[in-house]
Amino acid sequence: MSGFSFIAEKGWRCAACDLALEPRPVQINYLHSVFTVELLTCPGCGFALVPEELATGKMLEVEQLLEDK
Amino acid sequence: MPMNQEQLRELEALCVQEEAPFCVAACPLHLDVRGFMKCCAAGKWHEARKILDRGLPFPEIISRFCDAPCRPACKRGGPLGGALNIGLLERFCLSQTKSAWKAPKLPARKGKIAILGGGLSAMVAAVELSRKGFSTCLFTARPSLGGRLLDAEPPPLAALEQAAATLVGYGLEIVAGQPLELAVFTEESPAFDAFYLDLEEFAEAAPTCGFGEPVALTLALSRPGWFAGGQAKDRRFPVIQQAEDGRRAAVSIERVLQNASLTAERAKEGGYRSRLYTDISHIQPSGPIIPANPDRYTAEEAQAEAQRCLQCQCLECVKECVFLRQFKEYPKTMARKIFNTETIVQGTRSANKMINSCSLCGQCATICPNRFPLAETCLAMRQEMVRNGHMPPSAHEFALDDMAFSHSDACRLARHQPGKTTSRFLFYPGCQLAGSSPWQTQAVYQFLGEKLTGGVGLMLDCCGAPARWAGQAELFQQSLKRLAAEIRALGAPELICACATCGKLFREFLPETKVTSLWQTLDELPETPLPPLQSSGLSRTFALHDPCAARHQPEMRGAVRSLCAKLGLTLEEHDCSGERADCCGYGGLMSCANPPLAEQAAAVKRRRQGDKSTHIVYCAMCRDSLAAHGPTGHLLEYLFPQNTDDPAARPNPGYSARHENRARLKTRLLRELWREDRPEETTMVLFVSEEIRAQLEARHILEEDVRRVLADAEGKNRYLKNEAGHRLAGLRLRRVTYWVEYQPEGQGFRIHNAYSHRMILPEEQQ
Repeated sequence: MSGFSFIAEKGWRCAACDLALEPRPVQINYLHSVFTVELLTCPGCGFALVPEELATGKMLEVEQLLEDK
Repeated sequence: MPMNQEQLRELEALCVQEEAPFCVAACPLHLDVRGFMKCCAAGKWHEARKILDRGLPFPEIISRFCDAPCRPACKRGGPLGGALNIGLLERFCLSQTKSAWKAPKLPARKGKIAILGGGLSAMVAAVELSRKGFSTCLFTARPSLGGRLLDAEPPPLAALEQAAATLVGYGLEIVAGQPLELAVFTEESPAFDAFYLDLEEFAEAAPTCGFGEPVALTLALSRPGWFAGGQAKDRRFPVIQQAEDGRRAAVSIERVLQNASLTAERAKEGGYRSRLYTDISHIQPSGPIIPANPDRYTAEEAQAEAQRCLQCQCLECVKECVFLRQFKEYPKTMARKIFNTETIVQGTRSANKMINSCSLCGQCATICPNRFPLAETCLAMRQEMVRNGHMPPSAHEFALDDMAFSHSDACRLARHQPGKTTSRFLFYPGCQLAGSSPWQTQAVYQFLGEKLTGGVGLMLDCCGAPARWAGQAELFQQSLKRLAAEIRALGAPELICACATCGKLFREFLPETKVTSLWQTLDELPETPLPPLQSSGLSRTFALHDPCAARHQPEMRGAVRSLCAKLGLTLEEHDCSGERADCCGYGGLMSCANPPLAEQAAAVKRRRQGDKSTHIVYCAMCRDSLAAHGPTGHLLEYLFPQNTDDPAARPNPGYSARHENRARLKTRLLRELWREDRPEETTMVLFVSEEIRAQLEARHILEEDVRRVLADAEGKNRYLKNEAGHRLAGLRLRRVTYWVEYQPEGQGFRIHNAYSHRMILPEEQQ
């Protein structure tokens, strides 16, 4: 999953910082595996958005692969 | 403990699906008769010919002279119409085709063999050995091959000529028409390493040269390296038996030349009785096709005759079980896959999903002629996966979290009857009934309290079945231990279980506890206290479904039928009831590990009764699972109707409602029956459309979890917002991160979307 970019989601702003989200590389992990993905992130507080398409698509696929390892 | 190879083989042997069909086992040459019939039935003559060429050493000869020992074994025989006419079919196939397959000749091997005699057994031994690369020489005093076949009218001259050409093609040397002095060969002769005596040619005087009688299994004579067969002094010796002897002798000779055991693993050579099981109880009789010309079929006649073949196999369990069908396995292949997964050190454990998809209901074992314990095999594997850390976390966590909630103070209750200090009985509705029908749970409890003497306590809890099914042996034991202690603390009363699964588990794992079913208790009440069915508009004829957990609880099943009779209900039964009941898809946590399969299981269970309008069940999980596929009511809803609505019309309440109902039931009971003050709980109001509710259910997201995400986001002002006024917040709860898109609306929140993932973001690391 490393190298994938999920920055298509538009229009979300961080409510606390009132800043538009910007694509940032984020390290996510599951069952001892670490991946870097590009996620829309608040430049102020670092709140990273995992969009639905990623959570129910590629991410789910990888989770299940890792669970069967 | 993990299974070892020996245990696996013992287990596999219980499944007879791979056993040879009855005809194939009975055939001394084990011709693939079933495959041949299948090809003939489809008019695939070339394919059928291939099967003959592979299975028979000289198809033209054997198809003409074989007396078909397969026919008495044919399941189509007798009352089902009569065994198939294999001989005519073989001859028709041969008449329509040219040779379609020839066994390849193998590279030359060490060993010189003398075949003494020229009958069919000698010819078969010769073809088997010469094509395997042995230097083979056939000696016959007669001018040509064929032995007594030449006495037939007309003699099969063309076929014998062709056979001789085949033999020579494999490198056989034929010495014919010269007087054969056995003494020449019996002297110490370095020219040959092994000998086969065709007794047909030496039927006269001292046929075995004084080397004794051939041993049946190996055809070995007393002199090492010497074998004999093809004729018997004292009995009729059919042509097919000659062919079998030739093949058997060839196997023996090959083994002698390789210094291998002469006797090992030979039980299935020659005709034997198959262990296969084929249910013929539903087969309609179909008589043989009589050809217009008695000597041969037309193509249509041949095809029609072959179509009478039952294509015998077992698959009894597969016919009924959606799980086995979905994974395209039968118990033997499944056990092998489970075993292989167990032994994987690195790599993908591709059978995990399969192992976790079985409902563990045991229907297959009930149907199986050998009671193959597939559920136990899957469960043992799950326990092993949990022990060694290979259980996928997502497989059962949702159900285990739900169980933890049922075990928590929010739902759990264990009390004597209000106003009593002892309990003779303890009503145990089970977590699913409390979740699905809290109103009936309370009503039946109050009813039992009025009708039974000696005090009826109440225990709201979960029996631990989810932990058991998930392979969490330790968690299950902890749960049992706690339950046992609480039952003891109430004076060890007799448990009245509304749920067949709870009752089954308690009987098995808490043997010191006396357990009965709610249905038996109600049925045994002295008078018939049952309230009449509420509305006259409701149907009084029901399709009844037994739960899979009642499979081995006949008393409970009987009590349900007796109660229904007292209510004046007419029940319609189907084939898969009682011991053969299907699982609704909840058992074994199938619905958690494989939701689409569970949906299918529920649909199949409900369809057993066709399209009858109203279905009745007496298991809360069956009720909710089947209700998703059409009107289904719970027997308690008819005994204790909440209102005049048709109980069967109530939809599946879903995970969220069942979850919350359990907590609310405890609060209400404490308030209404035990008169305790319970603080009013203020719950965040959610506005959820039917569409979103269905999505939450499918994604295993509880409304309670949605509330927690929103409470966190709103409390910390930590969410994203967009121009449409929607908010998006995420929160990790336990081992899952939940995201909810929502919007404030009135006093609550409108839910637009929710999804989850298990991957961990940097901020969630701890």
